[in-house]
Amino acid sequence: MSIAAPLAAVLIGAYLVAVLERWSVHGRFSLSAPAISALALLGRESITTRKADALFFEAGPVLLLVAGLLAVAVIPLAPGLIVTDLASGALFLNAALAYVLVALIMAGWGPDGAYGMIGGWRFLGQFLGYAMLIVMPITAVAMRAESLMTTQIVQSQAQLWNIVYQPLGFVLFIIAAVALAFVPPLDLPVAGGDLAGGVEAEYTGARLAILRLARMVIILALAGATATFYLGGWLGPVLPPWAWSALKTLIVAAAMLSAGRFIPRIREARFLELCWKLGIPLSLANIFLVGVLVLVVPL
Amino acid sequence: MTVPLIFLTFFGAAALWFAIVVFRTHSMVRSALALLFSQTAVGAMFLVMQAEFLGVLQIMMMATEMSVMAIFMVMFMMDPGGLGEMEMTHQKKRSLWAGGIGFAAALALAWAGNWGPEATVIPQAARQTELLGIELLGRSMFIFESAGLTILTAMIAATMVAIAPEKAKQPKTVPQKTAPQHKGHSHDH
Amino acid sequence: MIIELSVALSFAAGLFGVGLYGALSQTNLVMIMMGVELMLAAALINLVAFWRYLHPDAMSGQMFVLIVMTVMAVEMAVGFGVAIARFRVRGSVEMEEARELKG
Repeated sequence: MSIAAPLAAVLIGAYLVAVLERWSVHGRFSLSAPAISALALLGRESITTRKADALFFEAGPVLLLVAGLLAVAVIPLAPGLIVTDLASGALFLNAALAYVLVALIMAGWGPDGAYGMIGGWRFLGQFLGYAMLIVMPITAVAMRAESLMTTQIVQSQAQLWNIVYQPLGFVLFIIAAVALAFVPPLDLPVAGGDLAGGVEAEYTGARLAILRLARMVIILALAGATATFYLGGWLGPVLPPWAWSALKTLIVAAAMLSAGRFIPRIREARFLELCWKLGIPLSLANIFLVGVLVLVVPL
Repeated sequence: MTVPLIFLTFFGAAALWFAIVVFRTHSMVRSALALLFSQTAVGAMFLVMQAEFLGVLQIMMMATEMSVMAIFMVMFMMDPGGLGEMEMTHQKKRSLWAGGIGFAAALALAWAGNWGPEATVIPQAARQTELLGIELLGRSMFIFESAGLTILTAMIAATMVAIAPEKAKQPKTVPQKTAPQHKGHSHDH
Repeated sequence: MIIELSVALSFAAGLFGVGLYGALSQTNLVMIMMGVELMLAAALINLVAFWRYLHPDAMSGQMFVLIVMTVMAVEMAVGFGVAIARFRVRGSVEMEEARELKG
């Protein structure tokens, strides 16, 4: 199977997510705006800071992009339309997205600037909060599918989507996904208001373009993961399978991006407290509940 | 040379090289991240050796562990960026000897040992995960549960040790509060 | 002679040597822990290699890998607990300054 089709899908998807993000921030829906700003970024001068850790500075955005692309690789667009159908795909998604943290720490530390560094370490604080909330709901999803393969997870939802079967897990997962993709209200590493761009503060030109693109790919990957794990992936009537996947992914992405308009930003310490005191007990309860349901209601 | 052998050599060399970088760089953050990439290369070696679940698990766990290590280095060191190039080693010669001897002994054993015939039938990755689950919740359940209990104990103990002691604060604050009041009270008595 | 097994074991031997050197030579507690992590990683490679090339049918090999990973995490938790306690009292985690820990 050729790799070109999924790659093209990722690029188009990332572009559409960029359109959605612009819509969520400025309230205007413009199909051409991201292309124009990307071209503007590429044409702009690339400035490096003094005493930068050059290796981290250059590698940070690239690693972020690679993490996003690897995560997308295990998300099925349609039966057969998947880059690699790993036997432990759901775990691999986590493994790839764990490198978002590493990339942000590298990109924050690299330029030798206070805002970037605080942004990078802030994300570590945020990570400690959401890490469990992203793994435990996936555990419950895998319990129902009796497999870690993403394609099997989609097939297990033929009777009933997981959003109905385990709504608690869905809520926890989407919160964790918002935190992982660092979109508002959990955009602490790049907080526009109080950190002057945070991790993005010292990046300009082509490097910033890569950083922005990587972020779009990560949002796309998480929206795709949510669609795969909870909204039945490609399953749906009338339309072809890939259209259903694309539609669900974009709807989830729009929902994730628009949440920031209504909720104020949450401090990482507060978020950590909420996640550990409320989120982890709830996700354990979710695992228990799904375990009982799988035994009692074999749908 | 077979394809797995080439990949095994590549990732093994990467793991080794990053491991050496850990102790050669002066920057603490670089050191922690070099360790991370060394462990990631180890995870990739697992993938080459067809232990898919373990490889992915290793790659996932180490990203978190080493990031935490990096922030602790930044917290504890005066110079985490390594700009001052301070010396942080002792008994270097003896350590080199110990490391060298350990390496040579293990290497000799690896090549001299008679390991017996190579296994050819490897279970499929999905089947492996299933078998591992059955092993964990079957024969090895007690060991697995002990590991879980151990990590819980370690978490609680580590938190207990790390929490700031309450007593340490009191001697500092109490004299400051009572000192100005002392004169005022002495009139009453 | 299984070439792949020997190659994997050789790289594990290398990692073990580097880790042992690091654990003995570094003065900083966190760096010592990094050395220990490397030695444990070497053990992990050995376990997976033995499982893959000698006994792929016995899943206890893979289970042992999980246990060693747990040991790595426990080591991190306890190590950082001790490090924080020391840093709070002494202001550093340099082991050269920890003479009172000597028996």
